[in-house]
Amino acid sequence: MKKNILIALFFALITLPPSLLAQSKKTSGKQTQELDRSIRPQPGPAPVINIGKYESFTLDNGLQVFVVENNKIPRVSYSLIIDYTPVAEGPLAGMAELTGQILRTGTTTMTKEQLDEEIDFIGATLYTNSNGLYASGLKKHNEKLMQLMSDVLLNPSFDTAEFEKIRTRNISALEAAKTEPSSISERVGKKLLYGESHPYGETMTEKSLKNLTADHTRAFYSAFFKPQISYMAIVGDITVTEAKELMNKYFGIWQKGEVVNNPPADPKLPASNTVVIVDRPDAVQTTLALGYPVELTYGSEDVIKARVTNTILGGGTFRLYENLREKNGFTYGAYSRLSADKYIGKFGVQTEIRNTVTDSAINEILSEMKRLREETVPEDELSLAKNYISGGFALSLENPQTVANFAINTARYDLPKDYYVNYLKNLSLVSAADVKVMAEKYILPNSNYILAVGKASEIKDRLKPFAGNKPIRYFDFEGNEYDPDKKVKEAPAGMTAEDVNNAYINAIGGAKALEKIKSQTITATTSMQGMTIGFDIYKKAPNKYMMKIGAGEMVFQKIVFNGTEGMIFSPMGGENKKLEGDELEEMKLEAQLVPELKYKESGITLKLDGIETVNSKDAYKVTYTKPSGKTSVRYFDTQSNLLVKEVSDQGTIEYNDYREVEKLKFPFKIKQAMGPQMIELDVLTVKINDKLSDDLFVIE
Amino acid sequence: MKSKVTKVLFIFIAVLCFSAVNAQNKIDFVEYDLPNGLHVILHKDNSTPIVAVTISYHVGSKNEEPQRTGFTHFFEHLMFEGSENIARGEFDKIAMNAGAQLNANTSFDRTFYYLLLPSNQLELGLWMESERMLHLRIDSIGVETQRSVIKEERKQSYDNRPYGSLMEKIFSNAYTEHSYRWTPIGSAESINSATLEEFMEFHSIYYVPNNATLSIAGDIDYDQAKVLVEKYFSGIPKGKKEIKRPTIVEPAMTAEKRDTIYDNIQLPLVAQAYHIPAMGTPDHYALSMLTTLLSEGESSRFNKAIVDQQQKALFVGAYPMALEDPGLFMVFGITNMGVQPENLEESINKEIERVQNEDLSDREFEKLRNQIEVNFVTRNSTMAGIAESLSDYHIYYKDANLINTELQRFMNVTKDDIKRVANQYLTKSNRVVLYYLPKQSM
Repeated sequence: MKKNILIALFFALITLPPSLLAQSKKTSGKQTQELDRSIRPQPGPAPVINIGKYESFTLDNGLQVFVVENNKIPRVSYSLIIDYTPVAEGPLAGMAELTGQILRTGTTTMTKEQLDEEIDFIGATLYTNSNGLYASGLKKHNEKLMQLMSDVLLNPSFDTAEFEKIRTRNISALEAAKTEPSSISERVGKKLLYGESHPYGETMTEKSLKNLTADHTRAFYSAFFKPQISYMAIVGDITVTEAKELMNKYFGIWQKGEVVNNPPADPKLPASNTVVIVDRPDAVQTTLALGYPVELTYGSEDVIKARVTNTILGGGTFRLYENLREKNGFTYGAYSRLSADKYIGKFGVQTEIRNTVTDSAINEILSEMKRLREETVPEDELSLAKNYISGGFALSLENPQTVANFAINTARYDLPKDYYVNYLKNLSLVSAADVKVMAEKYILPNSNYILAVGKASEIKDRLKPFAGNKPIRYFDFEGNEYDPDKKVKEAPAGMTAEDVNNAYINAIGGAKALEKIKSQTITATTSMQGMTIGFDIYKKAPNKYMMKIGAGEMVFQKIVFNGTEGMIFSPMGGENKKLEGDELEEMKLEAQLVPELKYKESGITLKLDGIETVNSKDAYKVTYTKPSGKTSVRYFDTQSNLLVKEVSDQGTIEYNDYREVEKLKFPFKIKQAMGPQMIELDVLTVKINDKLSDDLFVIE
Repeated sequence: MKSKVTKVLFIFIAVLCFSAVNAQNKIDFVEYDLPNGLHVILHKDNSTPIVAVTISYHVGSKNEEPQRTGFTHFFEHLMFEGSENIARGEFDKIAMNAGAQLNANTSFDRTFYYLLLPSNQLELGLWMESERMLHLRIDSIGVETQRSVIKEERKQSYDNRPYGSLMEKIFSNAYTEHSYRWTPIGSAESINSATLEEFMEFHSIYYVPNNATLSIAGDIDYDQAKVLVEKYFSGIPKGKKEIKRPTIVEPAMTAEKRDTIYDNIQLPLVAQAYHIPAMGTPDHYALSMLTTLLSEGESSRFNKAIVDQQQKALFVGAYPMALEDPGLFMVFGITNMGVQPENLEESINKEIERVQNEDLSDREFEKLRNQIEVNFVTRNSTMAGIAESLSDYHIYYKDANLINTELQRFMNVTKDDIKRVANQYLTKSNRVVLYYLPKQSM
């Protein structure tokens, strides 16, 4: 009997579902039983998501203030948003941005240096931008920070010297951005999407920066920096009573005033897909962006549904990421954004892919966009997206700034008072049918600007099919369109290569003066691997030549041409070599004091091949064909007529920094590429008509 | 894994590795070891219903073989492939369905994984991490896919980006013997040749409880968390293979090393790197404070003199590369347009010489200490950050409580210490100097 019971118990136990078994073991207090790892743990009861409290008040001047008290850390932070309607700046593009920057460079009572010192001394941060400012510091220095912040915002000095520094820095920053593919994509992408006359489509350029002055920033500030359109968020270790008192004391004096309010006209959707290339001949990857403007503004009831829709497509590690990265290995990541805005929203896809899959990647992106429009999203995928969004919402509440942002958004975009309280509820109501409606409305596979920043020669044929019957368009970094087949512009009618050569002769001093040169000595240096290397070049009429390369007393190489014979000496080892054949012929030309004066006698023919750009400046392109049949191409600046670049089988040489020596002009910076190395020569001295001994040119 | 970023400090985002202490916000925690060697650290904060479940493996690129550079980072990608009970591609989805965020990063010294979850999903997070520690499952499809992905990551983050090779060039010039001579992303050839078998072997050596620290911070109950940790991790066997730790000591430099790199850039960059002692040493704290003096805030030495007054640089900064073995003190500057790199370097050297030759004023030293204090007080504002700091302090110093006390080590540094370390370490023969010059001007 007893035995039977035991056996029955035994069978009961082994036929129990493993989970119960594990549980019964756990309650027995022992852990000897193997855990069944195939069971995914279920969540505990859902925690209550509290959005957190904020308080708000408005100053007499109309400034709205939102306070979120949080004393985990003894710090207070401030963010001010000045909500003026964006303005098209045209030839002054960058005006708002520079206004934001100049605010931080001094007040009517403090220089930038004093201001920097005060801020750093209390370990605070204080940044200004075109739409306001951000500051944060320890509670114990709170009033000091308030005082500095108010002074910066209300009493800026618009100092012209500081403005010049800002201009210089921005020009340099633009220069640096020219080689950063994501910056190029962003600049050109904005211009395409919004158009150049829309404030969102404008970008500052070197030219617009040169048009701007400190007075422009002062005028911009006076017109737009007003309290009644502004919102201040205060977050941290501060009570609302303290905040009220300090805000009144330090920001109560901010004067309100009229602000122009002309909302920009909405940009147009492209009628069909438009393909644009920004050529980066060195690119090893294509930076790809697809997108278009969408009419989706804050407050629209579509916003939450549209967010779910975009999430499924590519708002995280979803369809685009799964497809392009995890399935195909095309990229490190692929994402899409569908963003609402106060004026005009935007859809965009962004990914970096290897050149050879540029076409496949675009195909996959467009087909994912189509699939979302055509097929109803499966329930599990829909709930995955909703869970991911609601999780993110909950996690974001860890940062007290989130609550302040919610409060400001509610006021700024005129949202229902309970918009964020009901956010998760409304999110949970989004259905698969909603997603399909949203996709049909906002996901448009046939109205994209397809922008590829990459190596045109490798990707242009792959991009062609997406342009339909339209040509691919080419843009430069500044967003200027050009015809790649017509990079060379025509030279003015009637102009000849001889004219260009003569203009050059005149620019460097004129034939008369040049003919008087009987000798010339040039010394130059370059730095290689930390060592300074000197070049001494001597020329004497009619055609003697000697060049010495060395460091200090050491001579690495010496080239001598006595008028008929030439020799290369290598004193540090290596063979000495006599110049013969073509090399000797080249030397003969090189040895002339001013070869430009004697092209015809030397049997060289010249041909003008139009105008090209050298370092963003127009230059005449002239091809020189020597009697040997060898050619070299020289570029002369169309403004100065000076020689700026030379390309031959010796490599590329650039000439810069022309300076006057005895009424003649010589380049003082010469850059020459030799294989992978670049030699940058700094000319130290040029001497004309010194007495040079013939001994210098003797071949021993 | 929006970006399984290799945590090579990138020059513009390098952040001082500080951690907070202040009487007002002491971080309480409990820590213990499981019998299998797993170190567990728990920090309770019930103010928001979220929890960070993080796990660090004490293995980084310095544990790699020279012909398998980038291996640790490659492996980090494979840790998202799945396990015996999580099918390929499901790892991310399970996390997202739970409303969680997840990511990982690989440094020279350790690999860090985190899950940030709603606090009712703590058990799920522990299950997921224990699954991939106990029986990660990877196959050749996963390896080949991630190989392609990492090649694109390498291009996107390094090869196709201006100055993208900077860290690789600095470390390969500064180190000749030590495995810091390559960076976590590794070489393209190595990425191409790693095999599935090698990855499984790697997991069995380094991804074991006795080489891991489980650090949990957030809305938890200590007792319940301990039970759950026990449930999912106690059954994982201790590693049987020897954990290899490099012992090689990098020989001291005897002469300055200089190199020039031609890159697809517009503005020249100057970089200097000086050898310095490992993190945690008294001199490392003094050197950290020196970098703050030189480049933190607009009134710092570099910013005031070189960026603002002389306008020679668009940007210039100094960073202490905190590494487990002796690391580098790095200085970077990008010239303003038209400024020669020699000219910028001269200004950088002049500022370093000023620290070496002149005494700090009391006011400037007080400012410096204030800046350090603020960095501490404001550092531990997120659960993920606290979990990571606790874990790092344990791994590198075997003292997680440094999260509360490390400030004192900075405060022990004197004005004279700063001058002394500037003289002792920032010398010509102890440095590498790199110039980045525009290729297109060739």
